[in-house]
Amino acid sequence: MLKIADTTFTSRLFTGTGKFATPDVMLAAITASGSQLVTLAMRRIDLRGGNDAILPALIRAGVKLLPNTSGAKTAEEAVFAARLAREALGTHWIKLEIHPDMRYLLPDPVETLKAAELLVREGFIVLPYCGADPVLCRRLEEAGCAAVMPLGAPIGSNQGLITRDFLRIIIEQAGIPVVVDAGIGAPSHALEALELGADAVLVNTAIAVARDPVAMACAFRLALDAGELAREAGIAPSRRDASATSPLTGFLTQTEGAL
Amino acid sequence: MISIMVNDLPVELAQKATLQEMLTQLGRADDGTALAVNQMIIPRLEWPHHRLTDGDDILLFQAIAGG
Repeated sequence: MLKIADTTFTSRLFTGTGKFATPDVMLAAITASGSQLVTLAMRRIDLRGGNDAILPALIRAGVKLLPNTSGAKTAEEAVFAARLAREALGTHWIKLEIHPDMRYLLPDPVETLKAAELLVREGFIVLPYCGADPVLCRRLEEAGCAAVMPLGAPIGSNQGLITRDFLRIIIEQAGIPVVVDAGIGAPSHALEALELGADAVLVNTAIAVARDPVAMACAFRLALDAGELAREAGIAPSRRDASATSPLTGFLTQTEGAL
Repeated sequence: MISIMVNDLPVELAQKATLQEMLTQLGRADDGTALAVNQMIIPRLEWPHHRLTDGDDILLFQAIAGG
């Protein structure tokens, strides 16, 4: 069981709500995934456009909401977005993300740490999206964040855990949950994250843009179930040399005792 | 009548209109919205009492899909 701040989750799969073809498909996929925590963004309303509110459907689905600060390029903008989200959704949980770089959407570590310190002081439960930097993750933990969310690869890139060696160090050092966010493009990537010891993963694009998002959500749920079982079972250590799984007797000429 | 700006569009409201009345007039009184008046976020509990004045600049936000 996973506990973040005061909330216990039976699913280690968190999902985003972006990029789905329709709200109905999004809702069906979230239900199929078993996810209990879903992300949302805040945007200025276009008064000339239609009303694309997705909140009622998510509330009916009974999932916990995790608004993000996407679009913020500085700590100041992120704090403003977090306060708006608290008013809009009635939650003090916030996924802190500050990525001024539009090509790779990599998070700004300095602004992220600054915003995390401010938001924690204001009573927010802060889950920062951050680079796979063990030193930064430690600083975010010291700042009072409820979890850290290091990236596996750039957002939406589906490259898997290209940061795995650093994720290992983060997981080894962390005293708070580690949620691998971004870059998870296939169920095998999510499973690998759990086998590395991550506490959860956050997946959006890989489910939303699949040919069949509901089936892909099921596939992720099964992968996470396998990961959970593997964590409980204890993964065998790896080694460079072989270790025989059958008796090493000469097949025709020796008895085992004669070796 | 008073004239205010909402997300850069001019909106006419009755004298002494509240934030709640403005949202109803705009058809945006949904859950999942938040707003700022002249850059100050106004808590939801204050919307029924907060009266707007001529020239106020409102920013109106909504929760949307995102990752």
